[in-house]
Amino acid sequence: MSSDRREITSEKFRIWLRPDGMVEIAWAPHVPSVLEDALAVIDAMSELTGGRAAPLLVHTEDAGPQSREARMEFIRRQEVVSAVALIVGNPLSRMMATFFINVSKPDVPIRLFEDQADAVAWLKEHIT
Amino acid sequence: MNASAQSPGGDDIPDLNQRLEEIVYVIQDLAALRFGARATVGTRGDFVDAVAAGVNSLGEELEASYEELERRVAERTAELAIATRELRRQARNDNLTGLANRVALWDQLTQRLAAADRRHARTAILFLDLDDFKMVNDTFGHAAGDQLLVEAARRISAELRAGDTAARVGGDEFVVLLDDVATGEAALAVARRVADSLRAPYEFEGHEYTTTSSIGVALAGDGLTTADAIVAAADAAMYDAKRSGRGMCVLHSKFHYGPPSLIDARRS
Repeated sequence: MSSDRREITSEKFRIWLRPDGMVEIAWAPHVPSVLEDALAVIDAMSELTGGRAAPLLVHTEDAGPQSREARMEFIRRQEVVSAVALIVGNPLSRMMATFFINVSKPDVPIRLFEDQADAVAWLKEHIT
Repeated sequence: MNASAQSPGGDDIPDLNQRLEEIVYVIQDLAALRFGARATVGTRGDFVDAVAAGVNSLGEELEASYEELERRVAERTAELAIATRELRRQARNDNLTGLANRVALWDQLTQRLAAADRRHARTAILFLDLDDFKMVNDTFGHAAGDQLLVEAARRISAELRAGDTAARVGGDEFVVLLDDVATGEAALAVARRVADSLRAPYEFEGHEYTTTSSIGVALAGDGLTTADAIVAAADAAMYDAKRSGRGMCVLHSKFHYGPPSLIDARRS
C-alpha cells in the first residue's frame, strides 16, 4: 500500500516521487555510501511507491564512492525498480556508475546519461 | 621540476604526485593480498579520485572473489574428505554386514603379530562358518540369507571386546581376531560364547529358524607367526569342527593335524 509521502530526506540523500510516477534520488555531494545507506534508500523507495517497481532517476554527478556491500544490496533488491537511469557528471561518478553496471550487472534496464532530459525520456519507456 | 607546474586537472604537480603515490601503494598492498588497503577518495571527483575509487572497488571485488574461492576450496576439501573416508570404509568393510573385510583383517592381524613380541600378548583367530546358511538361503531366499548374515555379524560383534575385530571373509565365513588372549582355552571360551549366541533363533517374515556354527580357533605363536599361517590353522580347525558335528568349537593343536581334535573339540 502506498503512503501519502512524496519525499524522504536523510543526511546522505533526498528521494522523491515525481508526478509522472518516476522516483528521483540525489545523493549528498562527496559523501561515501555504504550498506546502511543502500538499505535506507530501498526502504524509502518502497515507502514512496508502495512496493511497486518504478523507474528510478539517480543523480550521481557529485556523489562519493559506493561500497561493494551497498552495490550488492541494490542488486539484491532490484525488484523495487523497473529501470534505472544514472546521471553522471565528473570522472568519479562516471567510474562508479560504470562499475555498478559492468561489474554488478543488474538484471533491470540501466543506462548512464549526462543529460537529465535524455534520462527522463528513456525512463518513460519503463513506466508500468 | 617546476614546483608551480600544474596538471590538466588543476593540481599542483607535487600534490598530484602525492595522490598518485598513495594509489600506487594501495595497488601494491592489494597485489600482496592485503585487502584492507584503501586509497583516499577526495571531494574533487576528478580523474585521480576516479582512479582511487576504482582501485578501491577492484580491491573489494578481489577480496570478495578471494573469500569465495577460499570458501569453495574449503567446501570441496570437506567433500573430498568425506568421499575419501567413505571409499576407505568401503575398501575395508564388508558392504552387507559392515564388518571389516579380508583386507582390513589381514592388515590388522599382521600389525598385531608384528607388535606381539613387544607386548608379550598373544593374538587368537576364530574361523567361523554357519552350518545352515545354504539351507536358509535355499528355503527362504537370498533376502533371508542376507538377513541371517547381518544378524550373525551383529551377534558376533556383541560378544567381543573393544580391541577385537570381526570380519566377514566369504559367503558365510567370518574371522574374528581376538586381541591380547592369555591362553588357547580363553580363546576357545570366547568361541563358545559366540557359538551360543549364534544358536539363538532367527526370524524372517514370520518364519523362525535356527542355525549352528562351526568355529576353529588358533593361537599365534608356536610356529604360527604369519597372518596366513594362523588363519590357515584356524580354518583347518574349523573343518575339524565340521567333521566332528554341528555347533563344534575346535582349538588348533600343533601336536595333531589333520585328524579331528578329540582333545579340543567340544559341542558348545
